[in-house]
Amino acid sequence: MKVTVVSRSGREIVKGGIELSDSATVADLQEAIHWRTKKFYPSRQLPNPSPPTGNKGETHSERVIHPVQTYALYYWCLHYSKRILETFFVHRFSHATSPLSNVFRNCAYYWTLGSYVAYYVNHPLYTPVSDLQMKIGFGFGILCQVSNLYCHILLRNLRSPDGNGGYQIPRGFLFNIVTCANYTTEIYQWLGFNIATQTVAGYIFLVVAASIMTNWAIAKHRRLKKLFDGKEGKPKYRHRWVILPPFF
Amino acid sequence: MASFLSLLRRFYLTVYNWTLFAGWFQVLYLVLKTLNESSHENVYNAAEKPLLLAQTAAVLEILHGLVGLVRSPVTATLPQISSRLFVTWGILWSFPETRSHVLVSSLLISWSITEIIRYSFFGLKEAFGFAPSWLLWLRYSTFIVLYPTGITSEVGLIYIALKYIKESEKYCIRMPNKWNFSFDYFYASILVLGIYVPGSPHLYGYMLAQRKKALSKSKRE
Repeated sequence: MKVTVVSRSGREIVKGGIELSDSATVADLQEAIHWRTKKFYPSRQLPNPSPPTGNKGETHSERVIHPVQTYALYYWCLHYSKRILETFFVHRFSHATSPLSNVFRNCAYYWTLGSYVAYYVNHPLYTPVSDLQMKIGFGFGILCQVSNLYCHILLRNLRSPDGNGGYQIPRGFLFNIVTCANYTTEIYQWLGFNIATQTVAGYIFLVVAASIMTNWAIAKHRRLKKLFDGKEGKPKYRHRWVILPPFF
Repeated sequence: MASFLSLLRRFYLTVYNWTLFAGWFQVLYLVLKTLNESSHENVYNAAEKPLLLAQTAAVLEILHGLVGLVRSPVTATLPQISSRLFVTWGILWSFPETRSHVLVSSLLISWSITEIIRYSFFGLKEAFGFAPSWLLWLRYSTFIVLYPTGITSEVGLIYIALKYIKESEKYCIRMPNKWNFSFDYFYASILVLGIYVPGSPHLYGYMLAQRKKALSKSKRE
């Protein structure tokens, strides 16, 4: 069939029209238009559009970018920007520096797992979840990130400005029920991310991060319990969840 | 009660070790018999049943380490068993084209001799509380030859199988799918080959250290 492409004002956009097979679809038409005009007809475009294959052979599918993939990018960047800002403005460290070897180990951890997750979230054949699930996931995740920030602020206020404070029992907010509420919120916010993006790689990342943090939490919980055993006028450390209510 | 449990443990481990000894002895017997009567191409078929049984049963050893039935650390047994299971099920059983290769013979001979010595050593220890010094010597010396031959056979067979792995697309998970996951057995196998590079000298070094400890200790006793 012959298709003429004309603007609202009547001007012929594609001179001579476009020849399409009788079973062509709107997608074929879109493709043909932007091949002819090199102008972008509404839809995400490939950087190098190739001539339409017509209806012989495979259907030429364009790379589609789902909204969730873009939001995942924003979410990931938000998380790590927040973390960097916290390092400058919120956290109070008992030691000025950590050993250089940590840099290699930490970078290897973040970059390997980050690229592993990103590969699948941004894959051309990525299958998004339902819109509702995505919203629930990111919404829950953002909520947990905000809680996480609040936890860090609470922890900061436990230490005096010259960084001299010893250990104290964290109080307030979630710390009343769980020892390492900052880790709790961190784990649950990654859970939110995974609910929204649904990749096995993402869940693997979640499990690895959670186990590392759980190890730290167990040590911290033990330390606090030992320190605050109720003797010598020290307040007794009440029984709490270690890291992940309602599981552990 | 405690001594009953410890007796039970001894009994169970004695049975376990001697059963696996019998299995691997059968493997070695069938391999040598086949090499004598026909050729290396038929070795796998002859030894398949006892091999699959004996090698897979070794998974129990991870359990033994986890629950504390035996002293060996899980971190040492896990890589060893994983590589064995990978070659046995993931290469030989899954890709019949590899079975006729001569490396199967060297593989099974290396594995079975090592396991015969190891299981009889532990079998005697659990049953009688001691093992003869010549067996101790064998256990901590034969690896010097058998580890290189075994590892070479494993690496060689994995390498040979690569072609068939790629063609068959077996065990591969492709995109798109609901869980946005993919797995490529070909590249995973190449990764495994890569692990052999640092893993083998590490394991060999560990065994050499164990040898020093075990043989000097027995000299002092």
